[in-house]
Amino acid sequence: MAVVSKSINFLAYPPRKAEKRVRPARSRTDLCKLQSDGANIEDISGQNPKPWRDTEVVPAPEQTRSVTESFATMIHGLKVDHLTDHVLQRSKRMILDALGVGFLGTSTEVFHKVSQYSKIYSSNTSSTVWGRPDFRLPPTYAAFVNGVAIHSMDFDDTWHPATHPSGAVLPVLTALSEALPQTPKFSGLDLLLAFNVGIEVQGRLMHFSREAMDIPKRFHPPSVVGTLGSAAAASKFLGLSLTKCQQALAIAVSHAGAPIANAATQTKPLHIGNAAKHGMEATFLAMLGLQGSKQILDLGSGFGAFYANYSPKVLPNLDSHIWLLDQQDVAFKSFPAHLATHWVADAAAAVRKHLVPSDGTLFPSDHVERILLRIPDVQYVNRPFPDSEHEARHSFQYVACAMLLDGSITVPSFHSHQIERPQVRELLKKVELEHPPDNLPSFNTLYCEISITLKDGTTFTERSNTFYGHWRKPLSQEDLQKKFRANTSTTLSSDTAESLIKIIENLEDLEDCSVLTTLLKVPSPPVEASKRSSMLSFHHTTSPGLTNI
Amino acid sequence: MMLKSVTESFATMIHGLKVDHLTDHVLQRSKRMILDALGVGFLGTSTEVFHKVSQYSKIYSSNTSSTVWGRPDFRLPPTYAAFVNGVAIHSMDFDDTWHPATHPSGAVLPVLTALSEALPQTPKFSGLDLLLAFNVGIEVQGRLMHFSREAMDIPKRFHPPSVVGTLGSAAAASKFLGLSLTKCQQALAIAVSHAGAPIANAATQTKPLHIGNAAKHGMEATFLAMLGLQGSKQILDLGSGFGAFYANYSPKVLPNLDSHIWLLDQQDVAFKSFPAHLATHWVADAAAAVRKHLVPSDGTLFPSDHVERILLRIPDVQYVNRPFPDSEHEARHSFQYVACAMLLDGSITVPSFHSHQIERPQVRELLKKVELEHPPDNLPSFNTLYCEISITLKDGTTFTERSNTFYGHWRKPLSQEDLQKKFRANTSTTLSSDTAESLIKIIENLEDLEDCSVLTTLLKVPSPPVEASKRSSMLSFHHTTSPGLTNI
Repeated sequence: MAVVSKSINFLAYPPRKAEKRVRPARSRTDLCKLQSDGANIEDISGQNPKPWRDTEVVPAPEQTRSVTESFATMIHGLKVDHLTDHVLQRSKRMILDALGVGFLGTSTEVFHKVSQYSKIYSSNTSSTVWGRPDFRLPPTYAAFVNGVAIHSMDFDDTWHPATHPSGAVLPVLTALSEALPQTPKFSGLDLLLAFNVGIEVQGRLMHFSREAMDIPKRFHPPSVVGTLGSAAAASKFLGLSLTKCQQALAIAVSHAGAPIANAATQTKPLHIGNAAKHGMEATFLAMLGLQGSKQILDLGSGFGAFYANYSPKVLPNLDSHIWLLDQQDVAFKSFPAHLATHWVADAAAAVRKHLVPSDGTLFPSDHVERILLRIPDVQYVNRPFPDSEHEARHSFQYVACAMLLDGSITVPSFHSHQIERPQVRELLKKVELEHPPDNLPSFNTLYCEISITLKDGTTFTERSNTFYGHWRKPLSQEDLQKKFRANTSTTLSSDTAESLIKIIENLEDLEDCSVLTTLLKVPSPPVEASKRSSMLSFHHTTSPGLTNI
Repeated sequence: MMLKSVTESFATMIHGLKVDHLTDHVLQRSKRMILDALGVGFLGTSTEVFHKVSQYSKIYSSNTSSTVWGRPDFRLPPTYAAFVNGVAIHSMDFDDTWHPATHPSGAVLPVLTALSEALPQTPKFSGLDLLLAFNVGIEVQGRLMHFSREAMDIPKRFHPPSVVGTLGSAAAASKFLGLSLTKCQQALAIAVSHAGAPIANAATQTKPLHIGNAAKHGMEATFLAMLGLQGSKQILDLGSGFGAFYANYSPKVLPNLDSHIWLLDQQDVAFKSFPAHLATHWVADAAAAVRKHLVPSDGTLFPSDHVERILLRIPDVQYVNRPFPDSEHEARHSFQYVACAMLLDGSITVPSFHSHQIERPQVRELLKKVELEHPPDNLPSFNTLYCEISITLKDGTTFTERSNTFYGHWRKPLSQEDLQKKFRANTSTTLSSDTAESLIKIIENLEDLEDCSVLTTLLKVPSPPVEASKRSSMLSFHHTTSPGLTNI
């Protein structure tokens, strides 16, 4: 459109068509009824079980359609009516958790550095950094720093196959909804749809390669699939045409992919920030008509360049769309460290009970001869003597020792004075790793077995197959909210935190997303420094019990 | 001293190289690269992709800002100025090419001009400062390409400027801004997390972004390292680090600086005479030679109707194999198109890639007659590839010519006169001829320039009014000035 290119600010994009829901908007009562009935959404939504069939012009399924085109068709074609209750519930939990983790992350050093850096940019179009009402950045950089905040402690959600899905998507949508106010306004359902499209694209892409199923060895998945998820979510939110959805994916691929070797450093959180930013940039460039390869997802020299074995498949028709999030939930972490360490913490807590029978007793480090961890071979989480917060978050050994010594792992467990305690360094020397052949590096199947042998020869063994927070043993809604309250306690007043919890609980009924984004820039309350640590020590006091054998 | 890691040896090189290390040879070669990159960049400001990325970058502003070349009123944050100027340089695929394969200058030069303008220093940046940083940026790219067999060939997975260019940009920026050894190393680590774009976007508007992003991301990595951001200390040593971009990666600690030899001293770059993939330059060369058999005198038309078959014996480079290109960018990556355009027109120039040229019925007819063969001895390396063309007429006659080395390749370098002629043609619509001549002189004596702002000021001189028709003819310099083609 000529008008767009003439305009100095191309972001003055033509208004979206109002998303017309065929299905009547559901009220809270309907939702409650749904939950109590356990009924399928289609059963009560009226006479029209799959209303989009009547309204959506679905391209005829052709064998010749490319994978890339099928993704663009999915991004462009999914409607709010496709969202199931299950997907709505799960995605709202992800949004709440990502927000809380992000607010907590605004206290980190890496957040401070990337904020300093991003301050060199300004723009007439701007978005807020969460919790910093006076700190406005161009939407791309707001998404960047908020994305860094979310992953700054490695505290964000984890999916299977392995990636952190929410961090690359949510900051894009909050930044866009603030920077590009539209007519009609973005609703909560618009946000949920775009969010889920961004998550779905990431999930679908991870099913094209055997390599993607496992914990990564070359590229950090959020930097690969996250960049495309961001582009997909932004394209959906801004209502791009089918062709431009496809171009946004192609451009995003040229911005994707960061090697995993920067794990356990301050640079890893940038992978999520950049995924958010680069996907948004790709979308803006596609809006300006920039063109890339039409086969980007089909080619080994395209998206396949990031995988050793890549066999993409055309997506099924939208008539039979099933959300991956419907079938596979995410894991929520209870403490800020690599997901694989959560099994270690779980097993260590169980074995500790044999050695520290009553509260108040110290862990008898001196009696311990050897601590054996039977875990999968994940090199970048094998750090016998971590030297920094970031290394400790990627250390099986550290998490085991901290749990044994302290009885819990919390946010302050990764402060440098905790890591450097002489008791910890002493205990770390006793840790040995074993990689049983049946213990594969997959978040769906891995386990941790811990055996502590005392100097008198006694051995205690415990095993964790599933920690609390894993998708097989989901965090309760109460504990998820508790995590959110703790994470936001230094940056939000408790009124604001409660409002956010409520708004996200009912996000599908929110008429105007600006209610949400306004709350994200409420100034922080004055809080005593000491308050935070204790507020964050929620883990293993609220857990409904550990699974050990 | 025994160095611990490859990564550390790179940081030591970036940090330790001094102007005294620069040899005459390296100075001469790098000044030619700078002149050519500038000219190609000025020409690139007329492209559609440049227009789009400029529109995009306009959403950003900053108190610290740099100029977009030739646009005195268009200031951007230094990262975005480097981005759009980098896109301009690669917008037509007209920039220099090195061996192993990459476009070395485009990721480095825009970074240095943007920084020298945005961050005025005391003492001022001199021409030698710029040359040193430029060469450090080039050297790092070259060294990295020697760590993998895969990097020696024309790429199949990742576009090399997006991989090594990002690190070259970070190295050049770190050197220019005088970062400490530790921060030079951190800048490399952060840059790796921003590197690498798959090659599949070749022949589209997105490919020029790879160079723009390499420039921008390397500068961003440097700024973040300056702020103290930390990355892996082993980034160049690990297969899960920089090695993630290669199937086979075996990095080696660099030799001590005492015995430093610049790769540019040993291996010069190729300068293109027309804006298309380097491999098509052998095709153009061979096609020009075979054309002489069929078009004996000037003014005669190429006898397309008599042609039965055009056979090109070239290496197997899939992304330059495009039998019927549909866009400017596809035509620049088409062995077939370049062969036909040369046969029909007798020269390949900037306007050869305009859509009305690509869409001519005569071209489409001739394209149908082209066949490719990939002889087993013709490998996809810019150092060894050749093009043999055989035209068979309907009466059975066959003419065959071969190009081993086109004019502009490092084995047959572009004369200084022709390089300047290319620069003048490339800048003719954006710079006055006075400004163009001043730039030629300043770059000729860059090592003596006391203050780089003399250079950057010239880069923002407003464009003169020029008649639209003037440009095409001014750019038709190729094959009229060539000192002769090598055919057998």
